[in-house]
Amino acid sequence: MSVTADAPATLKKNYLTALKEAIDEEMTQNPNMICIGEDIGILGGAFGVTEGLQAKHGASRVIDAPISEAAICGSAVGMALAGKTVMVEMQFIDFISCGFDQIVNMMATYHYRTAGEVSMPIVLRGPAGAYSGGALYHSQMNEAWFLNSPGIKVICPSTPYDAKGLMKAALRDPNPVLVYEIKNLYRMRDIEEELPEEEYIIPLGKAKIRREGTDITLVTYGQNVYHCLDAAQKLADQGVSAEVIDLRSLNPLDEETIVNSVKKTNRVLVVNEAPRTCGFAGEIVARVNELCFEHLDAPALRLTRMDTPVPWAKPLELHVLPSVDQIVETSLKIVRF
Amino acid sequence: MPAQKSAPPKTASPARPSDLLTKEEHLELLKHLYLARYFDVRLIKEKRRGRLTGTLYSSHNQEAILAGTLYALKSTDWISPIHRDMPAFFMKDLRGKWGQDDRIAMTVEEVCSQVWGRSGSPGRARDNWSHIGSKSGHIIHSTSMLAGTIPVAAGLAYANKLDGGDAVVVTYNGEGSTAQGVFHEAINFAAVHKLPVITIIENNQWAYGTPTHLEYPLEDFARRADGYGIPGWVADGQDVFDVYDKMVAAVEYARTGAGPSIIECKTFRAYGHGDHDDDRAARYRPTDDVNKGRERDPIAVCKRILVEKGMMTQAEAAQYAAEGKGAPQTKDEDFPPEVVEYLKRGVEYAIKSPLPDAAEGAMWVFRETN
Repeated sequence: MSVTADAPATLKKNYLTALKEAIDEEMTQNPNMICIGEDIGILGGAFGVTEGLQAKHGASRVIDAPISEAAICGSAVGMALAGKTVMVEMQFIDFISCGFDQIVNMMATYHYRTAGEVSMPIVLRGPAGAYSGGALYHSQMNEAWFLNSPGIKVICPSTPYDAKGLMKAALRDPNPVLVYEIKNLYRMRDIEEELPEEEYIIPLGKAKIRREGTDITLVTYGQNVYHCLDAAQKLADQGVSAEVIDLRSLNPLDEETIVNSVKKTNRVLVVNEAPRTCGFAGEIVARVNELCFEHLDAPALRLTRMDTPVPWAKPLELHVLPSVDQIVETSLKIVRF
Repeated sequence: MPAQKSAPPKTASPARPSDLLTKEEHLELLKHLYLARYFDVRLIKEKRRGRLTGTLYSSHNQEAILAGTLYALKSTDWISPIHRDMPAFFMKDLRGKWGQDDRIAMTVEEVCSQVWGRSGSPGRARDNWSHIGSKSGHIIHSTSMLAGTIPVAAGLAYANKLDGGDAVVVTYNGEGSTAQGVFHEAINFAAVHKLPVITIIENNQWAYGTPTHLEYPLEDFARRADGYGIPGWVADGQDVFDVYDKMVAAVEYARTGAGPSIIECKTFRAYGHGDHDDDRAARYRPTDDVNKGRERDPIAVCKRILVEKGMMTQAEAAQYAAEGKGAPQTKDEDFPPEVVEYLKRGVEYAIKSPLPDAAEGAMWVFRETN
């Protein structure tokens, strides 16, 4: 039973509640699961994702850790070595850099180094993303660091339904899975939805077409999904039919859905809010070139954050991030190529 | 604490744990020192003959730390050796089990296959030198990021404790790695939760090319433990019995739920950081310091104590003269034949073990899921 079971079944649920339900259900079903993070127990998490979890499952399974990301990530490895499933919360995904070595060198390589003897069923999750005035250290999308570190799966849900289904899949995966939760979506009313009463899992590595179209494919993930959907509506007003693909899972990557869409539209724009150079948008552009170059009527392009940190003051922040207008403008450029 | 085989004489002062060891156990500890030394000597010779690639990190002069600490453990306990601890892999669980390969964590054949980079290695030669381990044998697999296994040890100890186990987790570290931030984070976490984690500091005075006075400002590193509210012992790293005594205390402390501790074992690095560094180390380290650091060979110290305790005659002590020599001057005759035979078995197995298939390089990035 979920910690929000007292809520009426018909009530729409937000993204944060969906995550909370997934974690709680897995904690209930899997007695070998442990949660560790900063302020996740007594406080219930800085954003409240783990609220009620410690009262229900005990302080020994929901651990309030000292401010020690390296020790948190490293101890998760030790717990996994002892046969546990571990959920690690990063208070902000920005703080993950403090645990970097333990993640990329110890955790991500453990299965490889031991020729398959040891598995690392660890979920690392935390609030991510800009557009909310969080400034340099509470706005990052640093997924490229980990996508460039073999051995880590990376996902980024954009809806409450996906957040729950993907989180449950991640918590059952025998590999490290890094979850970029978009904090702007945690309590966003517009995206609340009813979730199935029965248990459901969304397998990692399956993209979702959010809007069908025929003239251009917008490949994106996270909160940029909504920017792309808004842009697609504006493009439709101008007679351009855009298809929007929400990747949901970056590694494993659903190449098939991207390729099938590009074969149909013959044009592609990749949109994400991470910095441009060596970002995942560039990787998608490269894959499109490798897999379906002959189907392209125009160069595959990307629209990303500038190669800058995320600044604080609103005009500065919006200046460096991709906008709906930019998506429209770049799409038209591609369509008219 | 190990089972006591003969009752010690009652005295006013409490007996040292090592005094409770039988004569056979005293002699076995000396054999373990010989074994660790011979492994080192043999590999150095193999490398000079061009039969071995990769870097060797010699444990010469530091063998008492491994022998003394491992002798105080049960097979259910975990260890995480570092680069200079290669003999630890085949010495874990060896107490009283010489020749019983099915009852030790890792065989000498497996360890030699790893050194030779062959498929007979437990890690199928996917990473080099000491970066192997065994989940079933309770050895944590380390990386090159030193002190990085301490948080892993803490997590392992946490999970074991949660499941009601009594395993102690022992991490080996050079004094150099103690300046890493993760050292602080992990020991603090272990102290908060009173986890059975023992951190062994092999203080060999040199972190690659940097001496201790540029690494930390304490006379005894063990005092660092005070800041974590945990015990810190100083052991004479050249005296296997002193190391064993301190380790028994730490194990007892951990196993009874009191929490983690640090044992600083004072020793001296005999050679360079690795064999690639031997020539430079001869220049960057003052000769007098090196001679002084090596004058108390752990094999000689052990023998002297055995003679003093009446467990060995002077003539028996002189039978094998491995102590006080560098690898090139050491001969097989300087070691008990069973020790030479033990290693020979490993080396012969490793040389015959095939290289791993090339395609394995792309395997096991992820565990397959359906």
